[in-house]
Amino acid sequence: MSTSTSLRPMARRLLQPNASQQIPPSFLLPSIFAPSPQIASFSSTPNSFYPRDNNKQRGVSSQRRTGLRQPVSVSKTALPTPVNAKDLPKIETDPDHGLWGFFHSKEKSLATPEEDAAHGRAWCVEELRAKSWEDLHALWWVCVKERNRIATENYERKRLNAGYGAHEAKVRAAMVRITQRGIKQTLTERYYSWREAELLAQQDPEINLSADGVSYTPKEFTEEEYVDEDVPEEVTEEEAIRAEEALKSQAIPPETKPVEKSPDAA
Amino acid sequence: MAARSAFGKGPKLGRKQVYLPNFEITLIRNPKLPPTFAAFIVPLNFNKLDLRDYLWNGYGVSVRGVRSFIQMQKVRQDKPNAKRPAPRRWFRPRSIKKMMVEMDKPFAWPQEPEDFSPWDKERYDAIKQMQEDSRETQKLDYVTKPTAERKSIAEQAKELLEGDEKWGPTDWEDVGEAQEVEKEVKIPEAVKE
Repeated sequence: MSTSTSLRPMARRLLQPNASQQIPPSFLLPSIFAPSPQIASFSSTPNSFYPRDNNKQRGVSSQRRTGLRQPVSVSKTALPTPVNAKDLPKIETDPDHGLWGFFHSKEKSLATPEEDAAHGRAWCVEELRAKSWEDLHALWWVCVKERNRIATENYERKRLNAGYGAHEAKVRAAMVRITQRGIKQTLTERYYSWREAELLAQQDPEINLSADGVSYTPKEFTEEEYVDEDVPEEVTEEEAIRAEEALKSQAIPPETKPVEKSPDAA
Repeated sequence: MAARSAFGKGPKLGRKQVYLPNFEITLIRNPKLPPTFAAFIVPLNFNKLDLRDYLWNGYGVSVRGVRSFIQMQKVRQDKPNAKRPAPRRWFRPRSIKKMMVEMDKPFAWPQEPEDFSPWDKERYDAIKQMQEDSRETQKLDYVTKPTAERKSIAEQAKELLEGDEKWGPTDWEDVGEAQEVEKEVKIPEAVKE
């Protein structure tokens, strides 16, 4: 960039190998050294602006679709015509493909509002308290996948502008969220009860919390002799029958609750 | 997530164990992508390695590569839950992070439903149009716009001028002479002052 733009074409002309080899004949010398005649140019732009730089790609533009300046080796080869997406061979998807987990069915890309509304209630904390950590963890992942499914179909419904169904999906997602909340509550309760048990064990002389030795050594104790003072010595037959009848009348069968449908999500 | 999942030995995975992931991942349809690619909307704090491990451990999808980008959302007037959007109170929704994964096996999306009657699309669209129309009437320049009747008036005028229609008085039904309805009411003859 040190040379000015006007000097560059001149320098290039001088550096050309042909020009240096061709020495002008001697009879042309007077014309070369003669004072240049004054020429009035039609254009006011100085001629030395062109070519303005050494850019070989000047004027080549992909936006204006000018094409290359010189033809290249593949110029004669015709471009392939694009194929319509409908005419392409159908893609065979593996029936066990993992991405099917993002849909409720393989037939259509989004569930109808009726299908979305067909679900039960969420798992409640009382039910979850009886479950092991493995069960809870598995249930959590079932919830995670269901939420992904709902989110995918929500997006698809909006994209297709399919119509109603957002409310049903929202209610379904809420059920899943309630189940997840229950799982977290159960685990939190378990953590606090474990911590309290640990505090109790620290004060208990029977429990050894250090890693070595027996962890639990129960104290020896003798069971006190139980002396029942007022044991009825003899029960008459009549009394026994009466007592049985009284028991029978009390024994009302416990209220049978209708078994609720287990949550669809879980 | 566990290094070994229920789906057997997978690609090289992370060893950090995540037990209760609490986020959603959305699979999005992009017909321009080749069948071995799948696009997802993921949480903003997700990275490529997270998605690779998540898909393998959760869904058994073996992933070759992940591409990730964040889409900034357009600036809009006021928050989406605002009752009356205040002017010049700008709000930009949170950006959306999308990731594309390259999978071993191709996956074609299930077909789009052709009949939208289970979603009640007709009524949905009609109500949406009605709401749109009523929103138009709330705008300030609504009065300056030509009314819907003007087109009809112009058509009628054109028909009259071209002679297709002939103007006539409205067809009244001839019911005969005027009758006194209140026959029992006696009107005083003349009030003398």
